[in-house]
Amino acid sequence: MGGSPVGEPPPAIVVERLRKDYGNVRAVDGVSFQVQRGEVYALLGPNGAGKTSTVEILEGHRRRSGGSVRVLGFDPDAGGRHFRERVGIVLQSGGIDAELTVREMVSLYAGLYARPRDVAETIAQVGLTDKRRARARTLSGGQLRRLDLALALIGDPEVLFLDEPTTGFDPNARRDAWEMIAALRRSGTTVLLTSHYLDEVQQLADRVGVMSHGHLIEESTPDALGGRDVSGTVISFRLPGQLKASELPAGPWDQREDRPGEFTMHTDEPTRVLLALTQWAADRGVELPGLTVVRPSLEDVYLRITGQAAMGADDGH
Amino acid sequence: MATEAARRPRAPLVLALGQVRYQLVLLLRSPLGFFLSIVFPLLLLICLKVITPARPVGGLPYAQWLTPAMCAFCLLNACYVTAITSIVLAREEGILKRLRGTPLPAWTYLLGRSGSAFVTSVIAVGVIIATGVVFFDVHIVWHAIGYFAAATCLGIACFFLLGVAVTTMVPKAETALPVAFGTMLPLAFISNVFFSVSRPPAWLHDLASAFPVAPIARAMEACFNPATRSWPMPVSELLVVLGWSAVAIVVIALSFRWEPGSAPAARGLGRSRHWLRRGQHAP
Repeated sequence: MGGSPVGEPPPAIVVERLRKDYGNVRAVDGVSFQVQRGEVYALLGPNGAGKTSTVEILEGHRRRSGGSVRVLGFDPDAGGRHFRERVGIVLQSGGIDAELTVREMVSLYAGLYARPRDVAETIAQVGLTDKRRARARTLSGGQLRRLDLALALIGDPEVLFLDEPTTGFDPNARRDAWEMIAALRRSGTTVLLTSHYLDEVQQLADRVGVMSHGHLIEESTPDALGGRDVSGTVISFRLPGQLKASELPAGPWDQREDRPGEFTMHTDEPTRVLLALTQWAADRGVELPGLTVVRPSLEDVYLRITGQAAMGADDGH
Repeated sequence: MATEAARRPRAPLVLALGQVRYQLVLLLRSPLGFFLSIVFPLLLLICLKVITPARPVGGLPYAQWLTPAMCAFCLLNACYVTAITSIVLAREEGILKRLRGTPLPAWTYLLGRSGSAFVTSVIAVGVIIATGVVFFDVHIVWHAIGYFAAATCLGIACFFLLGVAVTTMVPKAETALPVAFGTMLPLAFISNVFFSVSRPPAWLHDLASAFPVAPIARAMEACFNPATRSWPMPVSELLVVLGWSAVAIVVIALSFRWEPGSAPAARGLGRSRHWLRRGQHAP
């Protein structure tokens, strides 16, 4: 609100209190977020969380029931051709004519835009040059998704929507897709993607919004999701025989019963605790065998966040 | 901004021509579309001519009546049937949804479709007439050729619009062909397309005249009769054709959809599927 520095471009996507009802089911309920230009933003959440509804409203494929939405300054509902010149959409599946070749498909779509990218170059970028004369029906699932991406890119979009871009991919195809999306980020394209893969979000996204039951329940960088960058860190080590547990600094340390002499601590202040611990050990001239510092996995955090949201939602009813 | 100026959308006519070309390529690669539009009527022309006794129709040689009748059948296939099968297929496979996400205006897509229906129809009619002239001694009535062209164009427009309108009521690709033939063939049978109903019961004549197939077929057939000196379609029949076309345009404007599963019969299902998905809670 007037606080942005002079010269900073406005956000590419602004969503405010977005609502979408299907009959009496509220699929999206008061979601607000912004995506800056050149940013890769991921909507993360389980099936039915409202991710696809949100993205399809931003694409102009669905009408919202309430709230406001701006993509590149356009209302996607009313933006029309000028809006669609500037966005690229990768659908979850389908939409490809089986009897056209890769090059025909990409050329056809190039012909729809005012300022398309080069057809051969785009096909090369998605790694389908060898397949450019192949009909779409002969392509594998992964190759079809690459063609899908080529069709979304051919109009040289400023904002790219990717709805679950790697669902159903084998590990190699996922790596390839990730590399392509990383390349897009380097080229300055704004990307909004949905995913239910945590590793994908961690690889690709600058920021992540976690959705559950139609709500945006947390927003952060992938590394800091759920306070993961600091909270719940586990520090463990073994205490050499000559040292006494009662002398340990910054307790309380839990002694593991299955492994005598091994101590662990769950802490939200790993830096302070580690400093005190290692200082203490160094002062006594000993090594702490098996010293490890483990952050909770993104999956643990995700399950905790969405689990809490599910419980909150159930309480609410 | 310079970039904004560079993004001035392409001229709609250019886009429409691109769509015509696209649809024609698809038609050539889909054996069914090609077969329905050209081969099927041609086979019927040859078979009916060969197996039917050489009995004159309305004082004219049989082939002189059958050739324009088969031209009308071409139009029904190339416009009505092909529109239904190909548009429903494109919608259910998500092709329409993908196009909707591009700057292609909706009406340009349908204009492209109608353009390809027109080109296919003209080719099919040309093949039928050429076959009649070369093998069955059919004479082109040159003084009525303008009327024939007009009746053909009227048929293309009306049958295409009706086909597009019907797609809004067909939920699945598998049902498109049965619906198309199930509505078209009975009408064609009572509408002077496969055989000349010389003295039909009054109710059958009235029934046929309430639909657009009979007026188009009778007009095209009349244009191969040397006695025809003026526009062969009575005003009342012209109004029937225009009326059906107008109804089709209204239906298209109100109910044409781009998403898979959006036809009325499928909409309820789609909603319940959505509920199922919502029912799955996070692990």
